[in-house]
Amino acid sequence: MAKTYDYLFKLLLIGDSGVGKTCVLFRFSEDAFNTTFISTIGIDFKIRTIDLDGKKIKLQIWDTAGQERFRTITTAYYRGAMGIMLVYDITNEKSFENIKNWIRNIEENASSDVEKMLLGNKCELEEKRQVSKERGEQLAVEYGIKFIETSAKASIRVEEAFFTLARDIKAKMEKKLVSHVYNDCF
Amino acid sequence: MDYELPSEFDLIVVGTGMIESIVAAAASRIGKRVLHIDSNNYYGGLWASFNLDSISNILNSASNIETNLEVKQFLTENEKIYQFGNDAFHMHTHSQIWHIPEKANEQTETEQSDLPTECIQKEEESWTQEKLLKNSRKFNIDIAPKLHFARGDFVELLISSNIARYSEFRSVSRVLTWLNGQLEVVPCSRSDVFSSTKVSVIEKRMLMKLLTSCVDGDEKEFVGYENKTFRTYLKDRKLTDNLIHYVLYAIAMATDTTPCLEGVENTKRFLSSLGRFGKTPFLYSMYGSGEITQAFCRLSAVFGGVYALSQPLNGLIFNNENKFKSLLCGQQRISAEHLVMGIEKLPKEFVNFTATQFISRAVFVIDRSIMASEKENLTLLLFPPEDGKNPCTMIEVGPLTGTCPKDTYIVHMFTKQTTNPEEDFKHCVERLFGNSKNESETGEKENLLPNVLWSFYYTVPNTVNLDLKNGIPKNIFVCPGPDLDLDYDPAIAQAKAIFNEIYPDLEFLPRAPDPEEIIIEGEDNNNIVTEGENLTDQPIDEATEAVADLQIETSNDHGEGSSGIEQGEAE
Ligand SMILES: Nc1nc2c(ncn2[C@@H]2O[C@H](COP(=O)(O)OP(=O)(O)O)[C@@H](O)[C@H]2O)c(=O)[nH]1
Ligand SMILES: [Mg+2]
Repeated sequence: MAKTYDYLFKLLLIGDSGVGKTCVLFRFSEDAFNTTFISTIGIDFKIRTIDLDGKKIKLQIWDTAGQERFRTITTAYYRGAMGIMLVYDITNEKSFENIKNWIRNIEENASSDVEKMLLGNKCELEEKRQVSKERGEQLAVEYGIKFIETSAKASIRVEEAFFTLARDIKAKMEKKLVSHVYNDCF
Repeated sequence: MDYELPSEFDLIVVGTGMIESIVAAAASRIGKRVLHIDSNNYYGGLWASFNLDSISNILNSASNIETNLEVKQFLTENEKIYQFGNDAFHMHTHSQIWHIPEKANEQTETEQSDLPTECIQKEEESWTQEKLLKNSRKFNIDIAPKLHFARGDFVELLISSNIARYSEFRSVSRVLTWLNGQLEVVPCSRSDVFSSTKVSVIEKRMLMKLLTSCVDGDEKEFVGYENKTFRTYLKDRKLTDNLIHYVLYAIAMATDTTPCLEGVENTKRFLSSLGRFGKTPFLYSMYGSGEITQAFCRLSAVFGGVYALSQPLNGLIFNNENKFKSLLCGQQRISAEHLVMGIEKLPKEFVNFTATQFISRAVFVIDRSIMASEKENLTLLLFPPEDGKNPCTMIEVGPLTGTCPKDTYIVHMFTKQTTNPEEDFKHCVERLFGNSKNESETGEKENLLPNVLWSFYYTVPNTVNLDLKNGIPKNIFVCPGPDLDLDYDPAIAQAKAIFNEIYPDLEFLPRAPDPEEIIIEGEDNNNIVTEGENLTDQPIDEATEAVADLQIETSNDHGEGSSGIEQGEAE
């Protein structure tokens, strides 16, 4: 069974309930925005294979299955994750404040070198905005991670977000491989 | 809390132990509205895994019951309320002890600063509490460690229900026994038998013949042995003492008094799981056995199960006919038709049974393998019965299983209790570990016995055979705690029985569709993938079947972060 990809990356979505994680996942994997299915079928993970610099990268993106609602994400969810999208809702101050709790949770449970990225979702709702773009940027700088504002509904920069995360993981991984080879030679 | 729990469900499951989690998954899977709730802040209950920090806290885990709460105000006329929890069915700690100094002593530290780096590195090899605790997160210490038969009920259920995607396994690389005063590898595969230097050519033939007749299950073979022991059967087959030892104590995991037919069944269970993944019949869950309960919880959540840990569970409310109505969570009444709960959560008023059998358990963090070899092993050691001691089962796991940091191993022991865990394992500990002995010895490093860095002895009541219906309201189902089985067979049987009682005629954990199979308009998930599996006639066969449905971790370099990177083949 020949594989149809060069690398497999396991990615996670994390953030408060209602910020749009499942919608972001659907926008990226199906290019759809549909709010009726979410409660009816549990979304486990979605797969999309992308091209990056001539390499086929299979992204396996896991959703929280609603276990974030009462902060009951299993430790098993974090196993083997290489990238995490931290999502808040720009129209919800609380979801932004909670990002630091989610980061603590990640530090406790995920691999220490997991690649992280911050998403401010629902960015098309400018009139309802509670969290300025600058504050998002500021927080990302504090944690040394990248930041993008997205909209799953209006399809704004969702692609860009996942491609950025995937590219960073790939770069980190290739650097690691090179250093391995280097160590093996000398 | 920002969100409020819904107030009505079909089923409430209290406690996140193994059986509770399987029932929760099965009920959600068929569309029931399930609330899975726990007062603990971790998953797994008596089946959980802990890091080194948190395992010391389970000793004094305070319950968050609001004792001052005037609960009567939540009741209507004729209703009663009982508090959760009892002392009868919890684990009982005997001791948790460090065997290493708290910190590197200061003298060494000042000396170190003048030394070249290589020497400092060398000095660092000795463990301190501080250093181990710094690695606390790398530990996943099981309190109910399990191995899985490659063709056992558990593995088959994981595959058939498609829950396998939430967990990863490693195969056990060797089965050991204690024979003639030392550790010996038990030959279990065909090639093991033939390459073994401890077994003569004649013995090899005898062993193969015996194992074949056990598996082929020819009725006539065991006529007249209905009331005899397995040992007698093996003796009558003229097996040598060493072979009897291997078959009786290791392969059949039996004792001198095990009835023949039970021994044969056990032998079959062992042999039929050979040749599927790796060299032995067994698998171990990566990151510890506690991950398994979480896999079932995940499935439940994916199918709509509501999860809430760390909840203030203030009581169970019953009507005047003693029927369970609701549970009081904080100040909220949550109702359901049925309630499933772990035995340790049961209100005292309902404890109408007492455990008569207990399980002695111990965990040791050690500094090298009990039988070191070039590459890291995952070991099952079956310590035979002797001098009135019961046989002891031991599992040794290393860093590649994701349960302990580099340069350490964890040894789990369990046995049917005779006195207390310290006494029950004393003879094993004396022979396998070397804390006192090593100091006087100056021999080769390889000959050194591992040192114990940390030890934990505890007792768990064996509740699997109790009549858990006695005096329990009809719409409540009590789940026993961990049992002595090496695998989850009794747990699965219990969960299935509870499920069938609540939902007769409904399917128990049908295959969950893969995400790719979920079509948004109209579901189509009858796409059942059957496995191309054929049980070989030969009981012993080492060919490893590639079963894509189960994830087996095989890398020998489980560096942090590197796991999960899978490199595809070049076209
Ligand atoms: N306006 C707007 N609404 C969104 C967007 N993404 C998600 N939503 C809505 O936010 C709600 C929660 O979305 P969901 O994906 O279920 O959030 P989750 O709990 O984080 O998975 C739903 O009502 C969505 O329709 C977005 O980009 N813009
Ligand atoms: Mg969601």
